[in-house]
Amino acid sequence: MRILIRQHKQAWASLKKKPGFVLTVLMTMGITLGALLCAITLNYLLLVEPLPYPDQDRLFVAEHGVTGAKKETKGLAFTYPGLVHLYKSKAAFEQAAIMSYGEDVIVSHNSQPLVNTAYITPELHQILASPLALGRMFEASEAMDTHNPVAMLSYNTWQQEFNGNVDILEQKINIRGVSYRIVGVLAEHFIEPELEEIGRETQVWLPFDFNSAGEGQRQSFGNISGNLKFIGLLNKEVSQSQAVQLLTPLVNDRWQEGVAEISFFKGWSIDMRVRPVKEVMLGQSESIAIMLLAGVVGLVLIACANISNLFMARTAEKQRQMAIQAAIGATKKHLFKAMLAETSILMFMSIILALVIAKSGFYIMQQYLGAVLPRVNELSLNPITFGCAVLVTVVFALFFAKLSTRMINYRALNTTLQSSGKGSGLQVSKKTRQVLIASQVALATVLVFANFSLLKDAVKTINAPLGFTTTNISTLRLNFSSTDSPSQEESIPIMAGIMEKLEALPQVESLSQSGSPLDGFYLRALTNVANNERYTPFLKGADQRYFNMIEQPLLQGDNFTRVDRQDGNNVMIVNQAFAKQLKADGDVLGLQLSMGGPDPHKIIGIVKDIAIPGETAIEDDGSAEYTGVPRAYVASRLGAQTFMLKLKSGQSVSREQLGKLLAEVDSRYAVFSFNSADDILTQRLFSEITTAVTTAVLAGLVFLLAGIGLYGILSYGTQLRRFELGARMAIGATKQHLVTMIINDNAKSVLVGFIGSVVLFALAYIGLSEYIQPFLTWQVLPMIVATLILITLVTLFACYWPLRKYINKPAIFSLRGSD
Amino acid sequence: MTTPIIKVQQLGKVFSTNDMLTHALQGIELEIQQGEYISISGPSGCGKSTLLSIMGLLDFPTTGKLFFEGKDISQLSMEQTAAIRNKKIGFIFQQFNLIDELSIYDNIALPLRYAKQPTSDKKIKEKVDYCLDVVGMLSKAGRRPTQLSGGQQQCIAIARALVAEPSILLVDEPTGNLDSKNSDQIMATLEALNNQGTTLCVVTHDIRYAEMAKRKVYLLDGRILGQTRFDHQSMY
Amino acid sequence: MTDIKIEMKNIGKVFETDDVETHALKDVDIVIRAGEYVSISGPSGCGKSTLLSLLGLLDESTSGSYVIEGHDVSHLSLDEAAHIRNEKIGFVFQSFNLIDEISVFDNVALPLQYKKEIPTDEFIKERVEACLKMVEMSHRADHKPNQLSGGQQQRIAIARALVADPAILLVDEPTGNLDSQSGDTVMAVLAELNKNGTTICMVTHDARYADMAKIQLKLLDGQIVNDEALKVAV
Repeated sequence: MRILIRQHKQAWASLKKKPGFVLTVLMTMGITLGALLCAITLNYLLLVEPLPYPDQDRLFVAEHGVTGAKKETKGLAFTYPGLVHLYKSKAAFEQAAIMSYGEDVIVSHNSQPLVNTAYITPELHQILASPLALGRMFEASEAMDTHNPVAMLSYNTWQQEFNGNVDILEQKINIRGVSYRIVGVLAEHFIEPELEEIGRETQVWLPFDFNSAGEGQRQSFGNISGNLKFIGLLNKEVSQSQAVQLLTPLVNDRWQEGVAEISFFKGWSIDMRVRPVKEVMLGQSESIAIMLLAGVVGLVLIACANISNLFMARTAEKQRQMAIQAAIGATKKHLFKAMLAETSILMFMSIILALVIAKSGFYIMQQYLGAVLPRVNELSLNPITFGCAVLVTVVFALFFAKLSTRMINYRALNTTLQSSGKGSGLQVSKKTRQVLIASQVALATVLVFANFSLLKDAVKTINAPLGFTTTNISTLRLNFSSTDSPSQEESIPIMAGIMEKLEALPQVESLSQSGSPLDGFYLRALTNVANNERYTPFLKGADQRYFNMIEQPLLQGDNFTRVDRQDGNNVMIVNQAFAKQLKADGDVLGLQLSMGGPDPHKIIGIVKDIAIPGETAIEDDGSAEYTGVPRAYVASRLGAQTFMLKLKSGQSVSREQLGKLLAEVDSRYAVFSFNSADDILTQRLFSEITTAVTTAVLAGLVFLLAGIGLYGILSYGTQLRRFELGARMAIGATKQHLVTMIINDNAKSVLVGFIGSVVLFALAYIGLSEYIQPFLTWQVLPMIVATLILITLVTLFACYWPLRKYINKPAIFSLRGSD
Repeated sequence: MTTPIIKVQQLGKVFSTNDMLTHALQGIELEIQQGEYISISGPSGCGKSTLLSIMGLLDFPTTGKLFFEGKDISQLSMEQTAAIRNKKIGFIFQQFNLIDELSIYDNIALPLRYAKQPTSDKKIKEKVDYCLDVVGMLSKAGRRPTQLSGGQQQCIAIARALVAEPSILLVDEPTGNLDSKNSDQIMATLEALNNQGTTLCVVTHDIRYAEMAKRKVYLLDGRILGQTRFDHQSMY
Repeated sequence: MTDIKIEMKNIGKVFETDDVETHALKDVDIVIRAGEYVSISGPSGCGKSTLLSLLGLLDESTSGSYVIEGHDVSHLSLDEAAHIRNEKIGFVFQSFNLIDEISVFDNVALPLQYKKEIPTDEFIKERVEACLKMVEMSHRADHKPNQLSGGQQQRIAIARALVADPAILLVDEPTGNLDSQSGDTVMAVLAELNKNGTTICMVTHDARYADMAKIQLKLLDGQIVNDEALKVAV
């Protein structure tokens, strides 16, 4: 023990003299191992760790598979009456719950927040054994068909929307005209099964009876809805496949009965699917998680190879010291232990950094990948993480120590002791070094190039011109909080009133009674009256101020007028892309398009194309040239309940303010959503921004690693040639001669590395041609050149840097045995 | 009065490590004229190798001046000193310092390849062959250094030192790694070269070989203890 | 007979590189008894350093037998050789070979760390201090080697060589990197140690110092020659 402490003290003292080395090892191993711990923990959580519910192995989700006449799957969603039928039958499941997801505004709340809601039967929280912070869960008196308006809040909603008020129970909240009594608040550590969408947190739980489905939908067997879910605890004696066999006829028979009248469904059927909750939650994430782990392992391997080189270089530096120790009786084991002391200190420090990085990684994943990966909220430094950390530390410390001591030629060590000895106690063959350099260059080239390509693509998407402005523009959508909706006629004066008030706001510069282009278009089938040709452009309602506000230029013809909207004129404005589709010369003014009704729409104007990020043109002819998405605009109705507000720059309007304003006009109206166009744009670009940041960081990291690795190899290569360098300097080699020589000597390996990278690309091309082909245009040429230049620069640096300490000192320094 | 090849004035060399200063050389005054054969001897640690390194422009003095063919060395850049080493100085080391990866021929040709003015391949071959002939090693041109005995390697080192037709040969313990027979041979070769006009400066602690020189310099603790001279060109 | 520390018989050493064989040592016989002070001298290239490497088990002979204190050490594994070096041999090198990163005390204590059975801290402290006292360097225990002069460093190296109580002190050109005054001091320390019973074998080409030894061996071209033969050669 004493010896151990002393050895570590000595190792520490010796490391302190090499801050650059320590820092490099620390950063490289810390970052990559941090990523590794992150990925391992994530994989363990997703693939191994059971769900935090009792009897989670019996927890299944039943899904309603709608199969068409040709046995093709039409959809995987319940019909409302089908779901209720299944629930009421109580078949196969010991206990089951049904639910419907929604989005609603808490009208009674001051800020009228838009919340995620789930309409559930009481069994749900019983099955999940949901922990509560306050009150109780729903009980039998709040089951289906009781119409008992009660509510449960999530912990966060309680904290954020109700300031954690301890008297929250028995308070009422109003949603869509119904007043609910709060009976319970879920505990902070309650984990919701994300069945519908990863990262969606239900904020308010309400009884199933109050879900937003209209009366028609509740009866219709021909109407499917993705919001409807069935979850239950399977009977102990019933297997998954038995459950399918049991449920399919049960549901199908009832469904056939329900749609018997509708010829459209002739030959269709329902087949039930029963899947474990875990599988449903995991979805595609399993492969993402495994890919992530594989990627990180690759990174760790590269880092490991690089650090190996650094340790070899360090051994080369330390050979004289080790020779002294050997002379006074240190065995190989002693040298190994001394080396181990050093590597274990380094690895210990690295793993501490790695744990910090893993912890921040969890935080980042929770903040930014909550919508991509399920269960990320459960991520934490757990025994598995720590176990892996310990294992990794021990393995790497032993590995690096072994590697370093392996290269010591113990027998030759003593030659370094004789003051003028030329011998070297190190053995790394020239061949090994060349192979290392070549593989390093090959890997780095491939990775840097791949990252560059992804980065360039992402940046291109991010920077692509939209063709319209989003500055200071926000979209306001209204929520009607009563059970029966107003008629079109009824809402016109109300909307007019609201618009008057909105325009009167000092912050508002202008107003449009239509949604922002980022809020979406819908596909609509149109027929050219002249030739009966069918088209499916994206359609959107717009008012007379829409194009002006978003600064989308009108190229030809006229804009909509207020009169058009008032009179319900069937007029249409199309974009260039659609105009080109309709007529090759694009001159389509006056053309008539039918939506199926008796009166066709007449084209009165043509606007410039816009590009919405994340939306690709649906080109049925598959023509290579991207011509833009065909769009058509019709005049929005005067009763439309979506608005665009352009605010004066530097001004803002709060949701509460708008809520109050609406209430003044008509108390049944509340704010459903109020989002700035810039925010929506950022959201839409989320994956591109993530890709850009990730690839930029990765490219930088790979580049750094490649630099470190090459430096390591070339550094000890140079040290081994020290006497040769001295001799060459003595006979008159200048700095330039020596630098050129080292570069020439390594050029071959680098060249082999470049060729190797081409081979790797070729292999990738053969294996993944469908993914890679789109990238292979002449446009990648500058990228290849840039990559090669970067790698060459890093190699040149790695050649020069270890050499500098010999060639910038008097020649005698290299010729003498010791420093 | 010709310009001496090497002229050393009040030369001193101090090695410093942390708070220790070691005076390796102090107040050295020395001149080497064209055609001389000088030996520098003294016990280990007396500073003779340091002096040779400085005279060979491998190292720099801490104090004092060194003139090489009249040029003040302190005014020269590292590139310029490299050029002087290349053109004007031939080195012979105790450990031969041949480059194992190159053939004997290429080892000898190396100084010519480092020269500022490129020499044609034909000319290089002529010169290398001539030098190999001088040391009697013409038959070994295609071999590698590791295939030769120590004595043979030292002969190659001499040939390499000669190839650029330097003004002076600086020789550091040429017999240190050789047995007595080979040592005698090498020393005889060197003496023959001097008789043909080559200027020689040999560092050795072997009294027998030190005595062979025409002028002898003794060093002790970094100072010149005494000199004998057999020529009449000296300024002293 | 029991007081024989070192006995070498018919030791030979051949170096091979590609197709060249160099006979560095030929039929060397050496016997060193307890308390003796032996010097080995000869011109450069005579094989002195090679012989010292063999004596110190830093290298293995090509032929012949070698016995230290009754143990046959002619053929040892690397680890066995390391243990014998640690227990029986104290090295003093021309270039001191102290480790600059650790203190003088730790340098001197180093051989004790490599013992099979590691001694207690008290013993280490006592032993290191005793050895530092022998070379009169007690006051420098906490310094780093590079804060000392060459002569002082060499005395530390001697203390380090003594700390494990070796059978013999192998000294390689101890004054080679020193000025004459420091050289004399170091040689006086060695003479004093020998007077107190330490067996010393020293390699030097400095005739003055070689003469200080009681037994003087001369090497020429890898063979031991008597005085007269050497004189003839010169």
